Amino acid sequence: MKKYITLILLALVAYSCSEDLDQTPISEQGSNNFYRNAEDFESAVNGIYSTLQSYPIYQFYLSETRSDNLYAVSPTGVRAYDPINAFDRSLATNAIVADNWNTDFTGIFRANTVLDQLNQELVPDAATFERLMGEAKFLRAFFYFDLVRTYGKVPVFDRVYTPEETLEIPRAPVEEVYDLILADLTEAVTLLPDAYSSDQEGKVTSWAAKAILGQVYLTRSGPTYGIEGPGLDAGEYDLALSQFNDIINNGPFDFVDDYAAIFDYNNEHNAEIIFNIEYLSGGLGVGAEYPSLPVPDGYLRVNAVGFSNGETAKQVSTDLINSYESNDLRDDLDIQNGYSDQNGNFNPVPFYVKYLNLERAGQDRFDWGLNYPVVRYTDILTMKAEAILMGANGTQAEVDAIVNQIRDRAGLSAVAGADIEVLLEVKRHEFAGESRRWYDLVRTGDVVNTINSWIDTEDVQNRMMTMDANQIIFPVPSSQITVKEGLYQQNEGYN
Amino acid sequence: MRQLNKHILLFLGCLLLSAAVWAQEKTVTGTVTDPQGMPLPGVNVLVQGTQRGTQTDFDGNYSLQASSGEVLLFSFVGMKSISQTVGSANTYSVTLEEDSAVLDEVVLVGYGTQKKSSITTAVATMDTEILSQRPISKVDQAMVGQMAGVRVKQTSGVPGKSFSVQVRGTGSISAGNQPLYVIDGFPLEPSTQNGNGDFGSGNPLDNINPGDIESIQVLKDAAAASIYGSRASNGVVLIKTKSGKLGKPKLSFNTYYGINQTVKKLDVLNAEEWIDRASEIIDARWVNSGAGRTADQTSAERQAILGGFDTNFIKDDRWFQEGHPGLDYIDWQDEFFRTGEVKSYQLSARGGNEFVNYFISGEHLDQDGIAIGVNYKRYSARANVEITANDKLKFGLNIAPSYSVTQDPGVEGKDNLMHYVVSATPISEDGLDYNIGDNTAYAWGRSVPSPIRTIENTIGENKIFRTLTTLFGEYTIIDGLRVKSSINLDNTEAKNKYFKPSFVDRNRQAGGSFSSYQKQNFVNENTINYDLNFNDVHTLSLLGGASYSIFKYDNQRILAAQGFGSDDITTLNAANNISASGTYTFETKKVLISYFGRAQYGYMDKYLLTASIRRDGSSNFGSDTKWGVFPSASLGWNIDKEKFIADVDFISNMKLRASWGLAGNNTFSDDYASISRIGFSNYSYGGNFATGQVPINSANPNLSWEESETINFGTDIGILKGRIFTSFDYYVKTNKDLLLSVPVPTASGFSSAVTNIGKVENRGWELELTTRNIQGGDFTWTTNINLSHNTNEVKQLGPDNSPILGGSFDIEHNILQVGQPLYSLYVVQQDGILSADDIANGAALYGNQMEGDPKYVDANGDGVISPADRVLSGHPNPDYVYGMTNTFTYKGFDLTVLLQGQSGGKIYSTFGRAIDRTGQGYQDNHLGFIRDRWRSPEDPGNGIEGKAYSTFGRIKNTDWLYSSDYWRIRNITLGYDLGSVIDTNIFSGLRIYVTAENWFGNDKYYGGFNPEAVNSNGDDYGAFPLSKSIVTGLNFTF
Repeated sequence: MKKYITLILLALVAYSCSEDLDQTPISEQGSNNFYRNAEDFESAVNGIYSTLQSYPIYQFYLSETRSDNLYAVSPTGVRAYDPINAFDRSLATNAIVADNWNTDFTGIFRANTVLDQLNQELVPDAATFERLMGEAKFLRAFFYFDLVRTYGKVPVFDRVYTPEETLEIPRAPVEEVYDLILADLTEAVTLLPDAYSSDQEGKVTSWAAKAILGQVYLTRSGPTYGIEGPGLDAGEYDLALSQFNDIINNGPFDFVDDYAAIFDYNNEHNAEIIFNIEYLSGGLGVGAEYPSLPVPDGYLRVNAVGFSNGETAKQVSTDLINSYESNDLRDDLDIQNGYSDQNGNFNPVPFYVKYLNLERAGQDRFDWGLNYPVVRYTDILTMKAEAILMGANGTQAEVDAIVNQIRDRAGLSAVAGADIEVLLEVKRHEFAGESRRWYDLVRTGDVVNTINSWIDTEDVQNRMMTMDANQIIFPVPSSQITVKEGLYQQNEGYN
Repeated sequence: MRQLNKHILLFLGCLLLSAAVWAQEKTVTGTVTDPQGMPLPGVNVLVQGTQRGTQTDFDGNYSLQASSGEVLLFSFVGMKSISQTVGSANTYSVTLEEDSAVLDEVVLVGYGTQKKSSITTAVATMDTEILSQRPISKVDQAMVGQMAGVRVKQTSGVPGKSFSVQVRGTGSISAGNQPLYVIDGFPLEPSTQNGNGDFGSGNPLDNINPGDIESIQVLKDAAAASIYGSRASNGVVLIKTKSGKLGKPKLSFNTYYGINQTVKKLDVLNAEEWIDRASEIIDARWVNSGAGRTADQTSAERQAILGGFDTNFIKDDRWFQEGHPGLDYIDWQDEFFRTGEVKSYQLSARGGNEFVNYFISGEHLDQDGIAIGVNYKRYSARANVEITANDKLKFGLNIAPSYSVTQDPGVEGKDNLMHYVVSATPISEDGLDYNIGDNTAYAWGRSVPSPIRTIENTIGENKIFRTLTTLFGEYTIIDGLRVKSSINLDNTEAKNKYFKPSFVDRNRQAGGSFSSYQKQNFVNENTINYDLNFNDVHTLSLLGGASYSIFKYDNQRILAAQGFGSDDITTLNAANNISASGTYTFETKKVLISYFGRAQYGYMDKYLLTASIRRDGSSNFGSDTKWGVFPSASLGWNIDKEKFIADVDFISNMKLRASWGLAGNNTFSDDYASISRIGFSNYSYGGNFATGQVPINSANPNLSWEESETINFGTDIGILKGRIFTSFDYYVKTNKDLLLSVPVPTASGFSSAVTNIGKVENRGWELELTTRNIQGGDFTWTTNINLSHNTNEVKQLGPDNSPILGGSFDIEHNILQVGQPLYSLYVVQQDGILSADDIANGAALYGNQMEGDPKYVDANGDGVISPADRVLSGHPNPDYVYGMTNTFTYKGFDLTVLLQGQSGGKIYSTFGRAIDRTGQGYQDNHLGFIRDRWRSPEDPGNGIEGKAYSTFGRIKNTDWLYSSDYWRIRNITLGYDLGSVIDTNIFSGLRIYVTAENWFGNDKYYGGFNPEAVNSNGDDYGAFPLSKSIVTGLNFTF
């Protein structure tokens, strides 16, 4: 019997070695075993890019929907985009407004994590080290640029801050946000390569950094409207122009003669593309949702696109449809005037089909494979024209050449003496559905009047409010305001 | 499975036959009665100094082997034991006197038992007799309304689904709120109810046969529970299964059969009412869609203006034609609900001799849901065997294999079938074959295919195979000093198969998945007990122990993509593709190591003192913060043992209790929250997949135990020789250093960081009252009442005490705020309907609100309605929870009535978002309230429901807020003991009964089916209703 007692007493003391309490995750990697070599950092940088995947969706909702290109009223007024379209003042609780803020900051956090961990001992190859650092800096600047355009002032983090630290850091003035953006992009221009091998296409190049840098200068030079928004009246049109000229004169890009070919699923990475967001179909979780976002549920369903969106069309505005010249090739490519539902009834509701190719549907509507052009060559051309018209050192002939090059591709006759109105109209048709229009209106100074007079004619359903300059930017998401009272002040004009 | 069932029965039979009769002495018989001469069943009769014994049958008769000179001991709970020496006679009938000290029944406490009179803490005991005398399908179901301070919520009416159990309210915010279950000394890893109402890793009560349960006790205060220190902050439910009893094998066979139906249908619009609303909306949209458009324009005229056919603007002309040609009007709820059947068979045998005692059982339950497609089946068996090797050494093995199959095609929650049934358009062109196969959706109807056909053809099958095993040995070293060791394993394997054929899918694409989990919970416990008694003046009981627990949880899923090759093959080999992102295997493991000790001291049974301490280490926490210490102390004073009160005749018992204790909680959704980890976030370049890896959590390396401190004062009083017995407890329970997911700026890369911070206080009292109103004659009447009052209050939150908003869908609708109850509801208030005058006078509006829309209260006075106008609007925790059981007996008849309910709480129905929203399109059916809507200033309706057509969207307001008060006659059972009329040797007891469950009751939840429902992100978004049933049953004993 003594045996048993001994055994039991032994069992009582056996646990004194409590190493079993040191459990580590089985199906996940601890970060203390990560960031050790170039492969880990490649993977970590891929994780930053990954944050870009929802960018086209937020652009569509927060920029295209805000513009006079869309009259996105749902029949019942309850969709998250309805109040954005309507210039509602209660947007602080809007899910899209919050998701975009969170996503941009997620990207910034991932970039900061890489920048904090990256050093030359771990990645001895100088070219790789520089590229990784350039990619992280570019992407951090890209996300901050989106934040400053969307929300104005935001907290600036140039490294990883703990959650406790972030509770003490308020929104920084717009100038300080731009300081970080400019520093990052300037560095990225020198750190990044000009091109990649074909299996790495889609990574950011020094040309992409120059393009965004030019766009930043252009945006900073826009009017302030008396708000703490993206425009600083900075007068940097020449700085912008020099970036655009560099790209046009020295870059490997070109004007693609066939408009439709730019968005062809079989023609990705065409000569127009300076920076795009990459998507891959096949149920791998890296497909795109944006191509079918504007499309009504019924149209997707009759075409057997899986997991259709259950929504009505985000209607293209009558104003945009009526503004096309009759022989413009692009409206038919970009806009569909309705569809026959499964009962064969033709529903006359116009929506964008610019990125849609029903033959290339993936596993479901989140699985399209088409890359999203963020900056294409025509962007550079039109931004150059804009810089010149806004005061940079260039000629009307250069502007007219650009305008007519675009008009010609669209099947339209040449014009002369194009002013900023003409340029905006050219861009409106060239980039319909590409979420450029709102920023163009903001930068060139007349957004409030343009939008309000458009609302007067477009809003037959009496859904929309009049906008004022405060609605150029969005509110800080209420979930961020309530984290700590007084940490962030809400933007003017929102409740 | 029917085959397997037969095998189980055969096996049970063989076991029973092998239990031999062993004695050779003469047969002694007799009858045991109470002082009123009524036979007493279940009295233990033991031959003193031997292991021979039996129990009296339903008629109070006993029969056992004894020889002259031996002494028979008769004992029964609540009665004084007596002894009787066997002489030359063969018959000895005795009468047992009631014991004024009814408190002296023995109750389970952690790691042992204790006389009820010595208990110094708050312990609730359940009357487990009902487990066999009523049709009970689950253990948690049996606990509803039985114990003060133990709120058992039936959050779902789907058979087989686990209930949520809350002991003394909720004190945790981000950590688990379910109690620790201990079955036969085996502490089972707690499982937390998730927002969808499921217990993700399986509930500890899954597959347990309620018929196997001998006793249930709930340790409510920290002093009672903290011997289970680490995981005891939500209370501990101690369950003991039946064990063998000395004597001849006693067989029982219990069976019942019944039918059930839904307790409730939701009032929604019928087809005519739906058309009325749809027409109003379509006309209003048309008029508002452009100049020159009027309501009297015909469909043809509208079509000509539009240049197309848009059902937003054009009505179906057939609505207004005689007999509405080509259209079927359907009440989808009538098609969905059905009368289901419930069947149960339970066979058990128990007995024992001086070497072995045993309890074995087998059971089968088949329970239909009250709607098509929903069913639960269970097969379970148990063998509890204890071997007495010699005077000092005992071994035992409890083993309980079980298997259950739940059929549920996905009825509960957002975008699931209950939601679809209620909101389905009540008009179809193809009857019940709405939008399936080649049929298209009705042009004015929802695009969801017929929910009836979907349910009929969808497979949602969940199988759980579980084996619960406890092996133990106990050795008595010297008298009073015992060591015990146990090895316990809970092994659960669950498999879930889902398949929906293409013809009932909206996109005509079949979908399917296979998911599974394996759960292994291994626990080794070793204890040493020492009981001392000095001259009956001082009693001292010491306990020391150690425990080691591993919990391994693996789960897997395979998800089909792009449809199936055939609708006839439902397994994934027929899937056209597999979704890479939806397919995974995942494993976690956690370890808990504990040491504990307890001392119980009594002086003359008058003054009682108990102190315990437990030290626990959990792998969930940081390397320096794994260990927690959980002490407790409690005092008791049996006043009735004092001279000055012993003379007071009407007081039979009186005890005062006071306790203090600290318990812990480590149930947190993330087992590795203290370790910063890397997860995947992928991308692609040039058409090539690229793995991305990113930090996924804000780790807290100093994460440690959440603690709860409870102070409890209680008293137990028995009056009039135990005819009235009452217990009252007052407690303050403070959860502190919460495992709290504190919201942080998302600019940090994360939306929350788990931190040991925050404090929640629960305060309340509990009353239990048992009165034997009428006793002593043919007719008896006993009443059991339990009433609990609980309020909770948030005392502290994150670093700045910033309120935390919560609640899914649109804006948040609840708030955690210092000074307020947990999850206080937080919505805008509605105040009637906007009139033209209101608008002219500058009433605050939400968006483009117009005349006839609901009027909301501008709480912050800024002139507009916005989310900033949300105000505190009640709390979900009921103030009072009550249960009352009345038991009547008359000769062979017994009648039990259980009333149960709650009051003072609110429920916020996110289901309203589907069936009762402002601006709701006409396709979806709507709650019936909308009949009385505003139609014009002259026809303003009931002043609450706004006009059918609105475009201002919606803001969360009081329209989805309901009282969660309800009362229910949960159960009425009428039984009759045929044993008293049939004189036979074939059986010793035969009772028949009939039960009506949930037949009477009332609630105020007009926006949903179940005021306790949880199924979508913590709220109700389409619950499956509870059932009412009529069941008849038989209890046989041989």
